[in-house]
Parts: sequence; structure tokens; C-alpha cells
Amino acid sequence: MDQLYYTPREVAAILRISDDAVLDLIHRGELPALRVSPRLIRIPVAGFDAWREGRKPRRRRVVIRTASNRIAIGEGESLPEGAQTLRR
Amino acid sequence: MIEATTGEILDYLADVIERAERFGATVLPPNDAETVAWERDGNELLMDLAVHPPVGRRSRLVEIVLRERWRAAGSDRWELAEYGYELRHHELAYRRGLHRHDVNSFVRTYGVTTHAHCEATMGNPACRHYLADPACRGALDGFDRLYGLWLTGARPDCSQLRCLG
Repeated sequence: MDQLYYTPREVAAILRISDDAVLDLIHRGELPALRVSPRLIRIPVAGFDAWREGRKPRRRRVVIRTASNRIAIGEGESLPEGAQTLRR
Repeated sequence: MIEATTGEILDYLADVIERAERFGATVLPPNDAETVAWERDGNELLMDLAVHPPVGRRSRLVEIVLRERWRAAGSDRWELAEYGYELRHHELAYRRGLHRHDVNSFVRTYGVTTHAHCEATMGNPACRHYLADPACRGALDGFDRLYGLWLTGARPDCSQLRCLG
């Protein structure tokens, strides 16, 4: 299976910087990372690659338009009596 | 209750998309366009966003769906009424969701508005509704939690969750 994430230590080795420097990048919000448990931080490979190459997402312009379709929350779920009619 | 102004709501959708893309996810149409939209239906605003995590050739088999329904709560105020954040992993055949239902009957029956949904085998839930512990704080939190689950590469252990019935 493809490697999906790096640990902070792996990133430190790749970048040749200290573990603390990696954590600092994460805490400053520069390096995309997820805290998957109180003690575990994961850096997604795809996010790391994009960050390293300087690729940034483009900020979307957001508008409000008239709804064209319905959405369902919890498709296929069994909800209490009466709830189904209120679901979208 | 999570509340926001119209301006905050507009920024919020842009923030969610930006976060997904920072993590290498592919945003699916129509939200991959330069201009994206909240859909207005009467006094409600709807978010319907889907992304593929970045797994290369297998990415199409996995999707994270983020849906929300906000209700008008006064002049230029909106409140988050309902949400459904889901990871549907068709390769490993599981489904994991974080839901909030805006229906009195749900609250009367289960004592909560929010719950977790877990199908270790997709289409075959062992329990209809699990306790959401902790409750989700919005689409950014929902994305992080579901992306984090996908990142583990493991099927969720639904038996670790508390069944509400």
C-alpha cells in the first residue's frame, strides 16, 4: 500500500531539521498535519508534497444561489418515527 | 448551537475547501470551480461538498462527504441545524459518519441531537446510532476526523463505540 502519511520524525529526516522545528512548522499552521490522537501527529504525504513544492490551494469565491437539489443527512439510516418526513 | 453571520458562512465554505485541498484531497464538481455556492432553499442554506482523498489510482474508491443545513436565525444570522459528515470507503467497504439531526423525535428517542454512524461492513450497521463522543464542531473538525481515520488505512472498530440503540 502507498505510504499515506509521515510522522514528524520522518519529516524532520527528509527536511534535515530537528523534530522540534517540524512541530513548530505544524503549530504555526504552515505544514498541514493532523493530530489523530492526543499523542500522535500525522503529516499526509500529499499535503507535505504540496507544501514542499509551494503549491497552495486557490481561495474560492463563495456565493449564495437558489437550491437546485435536495440533500440527505444520514442516507440509509433508520430514524425514529416521524423523522423521515422532516429529512431533506 | 453554532451560529454565524452571512459573511462568516461564505468564508467558512471557502475555508473547508481550502483545508481539504491543503491535505491533497480532490474536490469534486461543482465545488472545484473558481466560484462555489451555498444553496438557498427558503430560509435555509445547504452545503453539499464531496472530496476524494489523495490515494492515487485508488482514490476514486473513497469519498468524504460534508453536508450541512443552516437555518435563518434573525437578521444576518444563521444557525447550524443539521450536519452529516461521512467517510465512505468503498475499497475497504466501510462507512463512518458524524451526524446531527434537527428533529425532535430523534432527540426524544436518543437524548442527543448528534450521533456517530459506523458500518464496519458497508450497508450492514450493527447499531443504528452510536454516541458521538465528542460531538463534532463543524465541517473543518468533521473533515479532520474522517481524513484522519482514512489516513490510518484501517477499518473502524465500531464495537468500540457506545450504541444508543
